[in-house]
Amino acid sequence: MAKRLFFASQSFTAQAYASILTDGTHMSMVGGSTTQMTDVLECLISGRDVSSVVSAMQLCRSTGTIAATFTALASPNSDGPMVPATAALTAAVSTFVAATTKPQASNTITDAKLNLGLNTFGGILRWNAAPTQQWQMLGQATGFGCTILFNASAAGGNTCLANAHIMYETY
Amino acid sequence: MPFLKTSRDGELFLDHSASPGLPPGIAQRMDLPPELVGEGGRMHAATLGCPHCGGVVLLNPMRKRARANCFKCNAYICDGCAFVASQPDYLHRTFAEVAELVRSGKWTVSGPTCNPILTPVEK
Repeated sequence: MAKRLFFASQSFTAQAYASILTDGTHMSMVGGSTTQMTDVLECLISGRDVSSVVSAMQLCRSTGTIAATFTALASPNSDGPMVPATAALTAAVSTFVAATTKPQASNTITDAKLNLGLNTFGGILRWNAAPTQQWQMLGQATGFGCTILFNASAAGGNTCLANAHIMYETY
Repeated sequence: MPFLKTSRDGELFLDHSASPGLPPGIAQRMDLPPELVGEGGRMHAATLGCPHCGGVVLLNPMRKRARANCFKCNAYICDGCAFVASQPDYLHRTFAEVAELVRSGKWTVSGPTCNPILTPVEK
């Protein structure tokens, strides 16, 4: 029951929906248990390309086999509580940019996709949810239980460099 | 408690004030208003959560088409959920209701978030 920040600084390679996402090119979250709920409250992307690059970043659900066997985050990527006194959850959300079984962004037409496209040459994008209007995750199965921030080639994205964070709260 | 219709709005802030921004063709392809996301542009747009699928939708300030409302939830719902809700075999269930069923331990959920499939847990 505490807000956490999942941060990554990396290249976001433009990739297709329903394709196996390359390690180190996406930010993904999977619930810690079958009944766990998580709210995604904020996303921030600050581009750090040195020439004009249009990226089609999207926050979306997953499809196919659920990601599994996650690789621990390595510096400068991080995931930590916003309040230092936060106690560790028994079943914490898994945040990762690499995994043995890799995530796939949903291509289901009726799945929500939050459009976070920007020019990563100097562009900054911040999305904040109002209370009760947050992006929600439930459990740890494909669809409801996995959220992915990635660069969608089908939406016009090109491979870009960016720093990004996702603020989330599990309960 | 009284509230404004906009009090449920989240905010998306896209700052291209020091950037070439998005070319008009790309902006249109991304459903973003080209006049607000080009070179030097700053866009503030509202976002709303969908009570049916738990997703969030960016409200394009230039959209002319009507937005769907769920009269049972008294809230905006996303286009995907609006399509599913228009089907003859639709059963109204909010994300919170689905979550409650799953957390009871008697059901598991799968399928797309706009049209979830609830399966009873066998004991």
